[in-house]
Formats: sequence, structure tokens, C-alpha cells
Amino acid sequence: MTLVAEPGLVSAESEAQPRGHGYGSYVGRKVLGSLGSLLFMLLVNFFLFRVLPGDPARSLGRGRMTTDAQREAFNKAYGLSEPLPQQFLTFLKNTFTGDLGISLQYRIPVSELIRDRLWPTLLLVGTSTILATVIGVYLGIKGAWNRGSKFDNLSTGGSLILYSMPEWFLGLLFIATFGVGFWIFPGIFPTGGLHSPDVDPNSVQGVLDTMWHLVLPVTTLTLAYLADYLLIMRSSLLDELGEDYLQTARAKGLRDVQVRNRHAVRNAMLPTTTIIALNLGFVVSGAITVETVFSIPGLGLLTTEAIQVPDFWVLQGTFLIAATGVILANLAANLVYGWLDPRVRT
Amino acid sequence: MLGLLLASLVSGLAIGSPAAAKDKVVFHVGMLGEGVDSLNPFLGFQAPSYEMWGLTYDYLTGYTMKDMSPAPGLATKWTTSPDGKTWTFTVRSGVKFSDGVPLTAHDVAFTYDRILKKGSVEGTNWLSYLNGVTKVTAPNDATVVLTLKQPVATLPLLPIPIVPEHIWKNVSEKEVKTYKAEPTNGKPVVGSGPFRLVQGTADGSTFRFEANPDYWGGTPHIDEIDFQFYKNDDSAVQALIKGEIDFVEGITALEVKSLQSQSGITAHNGNSPGFDEIAFNTGSVSAAKGGHPIGNPNPAVLDPKFRHALGYALNLPQLIQKVYQGAGLPGTTIVPPVYDKYHWDPPSDQKFTYDLAKAGALLDAAGYTKGSDGQRTLPNGKPIGTLRLAARSDSPTSLNTMDYFKQWLSDLGIKSQVSTYSSSQLTDEIYQGNFDAFQWGWFVEPDPDSMLSYMTCGQRQGSSDSFYCNPQYDKLYQQQHIATDETQRTAEIKKMQEILYQDSPYLVTAYSSVGEAVRSDRFACLVPQPNPGGIWIEQYGVYNYIHMKPAADAGTCDAATSTAGDTLTGAVQATTGGSSSSSASTGFLIGAGVVILVLLVGGGVIAMRRRATAGDRE
Repeated sequence: MTLVAEPGLVSAESEAQPRGHGYGSYVGRKVLGSLGSLLFMLLVNFFLFRVLPGDPARSLGRGRMTTDAQREAFNKAYGLSEPLPQQFLTFLKNTFTGDLGISLQYRIPVSELIRDRLWPTLLLVGTSTILATVIGVYLGIKGAWNRGSKFDNLSTGGSLILYSMPEWFLGLLFIATFGVGFWIFPGIFPTGGLHSPDVDPNSVQGVLDTMWHLVLPVTTLTLAYLADYLLIMRSSLLDELGEDYLQTARAKGLRDVQVRNRHAVRNAMLPTTTIIALNLGFVVSGAITVETVFSIPGLGLLTTEAIQVPDFWVLQGTFLIAATGVILANLAANLVYGWLDPRVRT
Repeated sequence: MLGLLLASLVSGLAIGSPAAAKDKVVFHVGMLGEGVDSLNPFLGFQAPSYEMWGLTYDYLTGYTMKDMSPAPGLATKWTTSPDGKTWTFTVRSGVKFSDGVPLTAHDVAFTYDRILKKGSVEGTNWLSYLNGVTKVTAPNDATVVLTLKQPVATLPLLPIPIVPEHIWKNVSEKEVKTYKAEPTNGKPVVGSGPFRLVQGTADGSTFRFEANPDYWGGTPHIDEIDFQFYKNDDSAVQALIKGEIDFVEGITALEVKSLQSQSGITAHNGNSPGFDEIAFNTGSVSAAKGGHPIGNPNPAVLDPKFRHALGYALNLPQLIQKVYQGAGLPGTTIVPPVYDKYHWDPPSDQKFTYDLAKAGALLDAAGYTKGSDGQRTLPNGKPIGTLRLAARSDSPTSLNTMDYFKQWLSDLGIKSQVSTYSSSQLTDEIYQGNFDAFQWGWFVEPDPDSMLSYMTCGQRQGSSDSFYCNPQYDKLYQQQHIATDETQRTAEIKKMQEILYQDSPYLVTAYSSVGEAVRSDRFACLVPQPNPGGIWIEQYGVYNYIHMKPAADAGTCDAATSTAGDTLTGAVQATTGGSSSSSASTGFLIGAGVVILVLLVGGGVIAMRRRATAGDRE
């Protein structure tokens, strides 16, 4: 598969990208490496969760499945009665055909379960990550450019306070103030959930209702993530400030904003790019604390619940999604990095 | 942040806007803890799933509100043959499924047959209720006959949801293990129950039910029930105060206390049929290896006399006060007192009291005397060593109970150490026998048969977690299991509890309660089960959803008439003068306004910036 993909990428890249001598082979190496990690991860995936303590039939059926015969019927129906090597082969075969197994806890196909839980997580964590990136990078640039100004102190200090605050505490604070209301202000935001039970989530009303429910959780996560981007952006821009090329740019007669945006920021973006790409990869892992506080049925909650059972197939599925996300994001970061900075291609 | 600031500013304008007129009566329930694991009644295990099935389906027999004894459901009456091996149920006529097809005895037989099929998934949850049943027949539309190989004392209790044969016959044995039984294409799930599930999916967090206007037990007084599952009790309590939900279940005793001072809210700790215990390793063995000892229990905890003596070292009133915040009762036996008929209350000369001198004397008498270092030794003179106490990390109650236990043991001169495990980790440790004592709890069904069975020899490495084995107890268990005489059976069940109290495989620490709160300014007529003192929802059966009323009509609760002549007391009274809450739609409108405002302001800023830099971009 890679052998086919590689030449295609090379030709496409070399035509579109005159900068890139050797970029094609760089892309090929990186893609190959990522595929290797993905394959290794698949193998580890199965055994990783088998070391978890607990017996699903016992933890799920406590007080319900009272006889061994009942537990055996359960194990047989959900593929737990076969010997482990046999289960592993079934797992490999199924994974390559796109079948992630049946959830022990919910007894529906894992792929369906993950599909149901993916979009709340994408909406929550994805939106927050993008918002935090945009706002954080913007604040970081402004702060660094006017280092020591009132704005710089305020934004850096403020975001650090929010960063050090536990997410659940910030979330509860928001629920108590903007959800329930305080003093003369009535609470206008919902206290939890992804949408109201009495609307159809697929209707226009439902989409607006969902957005409305997501205001507080997204704000919480955005504020919590903000400092990440702000600090990285600020410090890497500060590194660039004393460079000669900025002097040159100024000497050319460029406006201050142009010097900043076209010259300084472009160079300072490199480390920030890595952070952004990696964090985008983590989006599909979910945000356990915020999902819990706001009762949003996302992948983070699904994973925590699955560990308690332990629901092997669900854990394997969410791990697969999370790992794939990180590997792909890593690959994207490497590719962008290689494009931005030719020195890393060797 | 800007949006939030604006929101709080603009919300001042909301006061004047009219609330949307509501013609439908909707009961919003906030649920905590585990969610619905399956809407397929053959597959789910979690308590909320039972609530969903209870609203959707009917049962041959149900439970009374007073004491959860068997009550007529789809079956109007039943008879037993003199040898107790044949049960004949008469099925109510005129009952219809939501798609108009009549429910008959054939649907009942079909449902039970699926469960009885050997090794079937359907049997994983329900087979225990049909224990000993060899054949189910429906000779006509109104009669169901159960044939048994021996009498079974738990009948006529049959809390199994009856599914429509004309739908489920198309679900093959292979398909049923992933069959969802959820609303599809806007069509509700076909059932005969008082409500119809119109929206919801197993792993989801919201469920919507509409009343069944043709329900045989009377049309419910509310039009709709909306369930919202919360993962965090603070948020759920806030939602109740705000009025987003009308009911919250599973809150802490402290939250109950704070809600009791809120106007328009009625909150209580309902006695639930469960207990918490400190369990001992009374002799771990491997069932697979023919009773071969496994694990490494301390010799002291293997001795019933040692365990029994520790019963006098437990300061249960203090435990209830500190660990349960006063919500709960000191425990005695494994059949909770809510099951008044079967519960054995130890007489005062046998009952454990907090009496360290007596505990010490009993230990001395059994040979566990204090050595020169002040620590007690085994009867053979060797040191007891350190007892390993296991607590569950996911339960604060468990951790606190074991910390107290450690202190009490130390007062007696016994060293111990508390280790924490996740529930699944602890399960593994228990079945390998690597423990001396642990803390856990059980919910006990209205018929104590299965709870009693967990203490039999045959359940070691099955459902037994104390590895308790006593032939005398086993004999009594078998006798009561097939007893046809109720008085004799009750006496046997009480005797079994007495034996357990003496041998103390479990020291029952507390009878638990469940914190619940309702917006009594909106809804009334919720009746506790058991009555009085019990819980309002997640009951055995769905009485309250059918009989509760909007607070405006509360003067006429139909409580007293509906259950087999029992007089029910303590229904939630309507309260007035509750705080007004902004309706959801008002909040929504303001929110939309804020979003538009933010967009406008944001757009304006961008436009201005573009104009400012327009010269440079040329």
C-alpha cells in the first residue's frame, strides 16, 4: 500500500511545491513510519487491556446473573469464553474487516457506540481546541510584541490562573453562576447535558439547542487550554524579537504590524504548530473531567466507564481511535514542519 | 468570556418576556449513576434500564407499594396445584400493545420460552425467576400454565417484561444479543406498558416517554416523562434548584439536607432495600479444583468465634452518623427490615452492641489473648499479624468504613492495614482469596431467595464473596426454596439469618438509603415504596409515574384505591410559593440574542481592522 502511495505523493508534491527538494522522500519516510506505529499499536491494543483486573460477567451481572450457567451463556455470546490466542486471532480478523466487536456493557457494536460518542467529543473538544488556539496564539503574539505591557501581564497572568485551576472546578463555577444564576442575574445556560430531552437533535431547533448546551463546557475547556498556546507562542516570538532580519524588515520601511505578522510570527509559528497538531490529535481522546461535570456523553466518559467493567472491545476501539488520532496528527505536524523548515528534512 | 459577560447583562431584559404556554404536562427526571445499558429487556443489567422497561412493558405479576409482596399485573389471579408443581395464571383480557395487536397468554409463553432456552442470552438476566420451571404453555388466550419439577417458593413473583411475540419472533437467537429494541424512524418501541418510549438509545443520556392513553391500569396523569442522565451530582442538584428538572435521584445526604430548606422542593432519604457489609474470607476454595483451598486468609478470620466477637467492636451509630451523614440505619442481617415479613431482628441478648469489653472477653475466651506487646495472638500463641482490609476506591463510604474498622480493631489489640482497590480489581482479589476482609454491599430483591443463596456452599466462586459454607444453612436454604407453606418458609428464612449472625461471614454495617428530591411546587402524589419510609422512583414497578399528578390537581391523589386494599400514607404533598424559574425557551431566546450580538460585534471589529490595514494590503 505504501509503495503505491509513495510515488504519487512524490510527484504531487514536487509539482506543487517548488521549495521542496527532497520533500517527497521525507513525506514517504514519515508516512511509512506512521504506518509502522499504527501496526504496532494494533498488536499492543489487544493485550494492553487484557491485563486489566476484573471479570465483565461478574461486574456487570452482580446480583443478576446468579448462576455459573448464566455467566457462561453471557461469556459465550460475547466472545469471552474462547481461549485468549483464539480471541486474538478473531480480533485481528475483525479489526481488518472494520468490525470492532460488541460492547460488553451496552451490547451494541463498538463502531456504532464510538460513532454516537464521537460527535459530542468533536463538538466539545474540537471547538475548544480551535478557539483556544486562535485566541491563545493571538494573545501570545500581542503579549510578546508589547512585552511587559499591561495587556501582556494581564493576559499571561490571567491565563496562567485559569490553567492552574482544575477544569471541574472552573466548570462547576460556571454552572453555579451562569447556569443557576446569582444575585440579580438569572441563570440562562443549561446546567448539563448535550441537548434537551424534548427536542430532536437533528432538527434546526435541536442544533441550536445543542449549541446552547455547549456554551459553558466549551468556554470552560477553552479557558483551561488557553495558556498552553499563549505561552508557547509568546516565548517563541520573544526569541525572534532580537533577530537581525526584523531590523532589516523595519529598515525596508514596513509597518510594525507587517514586520510582526510577515516576518517574526512566521518564524515563531514552528513550535506552536507542533503543539496545535498534537493537541488536535488528542481531540478524539475526549475530555473526561469536563464531560463528567457537564454530563456530555463523549468518548472520554465512554473510556472511563469501560475501564470499570472492563469492556475490552470498547477500550480497544477507543484506544484505536485515540492512537490513530495522535499518530495522524504527529504525521501532519511532521509534514507541515518539513514544509515550513527545510532543515528538518534530512 | 465576552459572550458570558454580555449574557449576564442582557439577561436582565428577560424578566419582561412571557414564558411559552405549556399545554403538555412533562415530568423531567434527573438520574445519577450508571446509565441505561440496554433497552432490550433481555440484555440490560443496570437499575435505570429496569425503569425504562417498566414504563414500556407489562409484567405477569408486580409488587405492592406497601411491602413489595406479589401483586396482580397482567395476571388477574393465579392458582397452584396441591403438589405445588403447576401454576395457572389468568391473563387480563383487553390489553393491547401500542401497535394495536392484543396481548395474550401466548406472548407470555413466548417470552418465558426464550428465557428457558438452554444457554440463551435471554436467560442471563431472567432465568433466576423461572428457576425450576420445565415447561410454559398457553392453552388459550387467557391462561398461562407453568410446570415445575419441584415447588419453587419464589413464585408467583415474575417481574419479567412481556415482549410482543409478533415483533420478537423475527429476532433470531443470533440477532438478539445485539438487538436494540429502540424507537426507529420515529416509531415508538412496541410494548403494552403505561408509557411509550419515543426517543432514546442505550448509551445515550436522554430518554423521552409519552403516556399510553389506553393503558389498562388507567391513563397516567402526566403526558410525558423526560429522563436526563447526569454524571455529576452537583450539576443535577443545581438543575433541580433552577427548575430544569423536577426530580433528582441518587444525591447525597448532605445535598438532601440543603435541598430541604429550599422552598418548592421536597427532599428525603428513602430507605432502599440494600445493605452494606464488612465481609470476611471464611475459607477461600477453588470450585474448579474440587474444594481445594486457595488464597491466603489469615487464620483468625477463618474462625467464626473471632468474627463474631468483632461484631461487638463496631460502633454502628457513630458509623451511620459520620460516614452516612445520618441517612441510613445500623445493620443487622442480610435481609433488610424493609422486608418486614422475612427480616430477622436479633433479640437483645444476641444483638451486637458497641461493647469493647465484651468483644475483648469473647476474644480471650476463644483463645485470642493479648501478648506482652499488647497485641492479640492466635490460639496457638503465634501473632495474628496484620489483617488486610480492602476498601473500594470508587466509594467514599467504603473507604471511611474501613478506616473506622481499622481503628476499632486497633482498640482491641489487632493490627490491620487498609488497602484500596477499584471494584473490578477487588473482584479479582476476592475470587483468588487474597484478602482478610473487604467492604461492599448488596441490593436485596423482594424475595430474599437469591440473596440467601449467595451464602450457600455451592456459590463459592460463584456469587459468594465470603466463601461461607455451612451444611446446616444449606439444608435450610433448600427447604425454604421448595417450601409451599409460607409460615414454615418464613421461619426457615429467619433461622438462616440467625445462623449467619452467629457465624458472621458478613458483619452488616448499614441499611442504605437513597437521596431523592422533587419539585413539589409542580408535582405531587408520589408514594414511597415500601410505604412508609421508602423511595419514590426506581421502585419495584412504576406506580408513581402512573399515579403522580401536577401540583395544581394535587387535592385528589388516587393513592389509596390502587393497590390491593393497602392504605398508603406519606405521599408527597404539593407545596406552593416555589421560586419562579425562567423557562427554557426564554433562556434560549436570550442566548440566541447574545450569539447574534457577539457575531455582530465580532464582525464589526474585523471589518474595522480590515479597513485600517487596507492601505498596506495593496
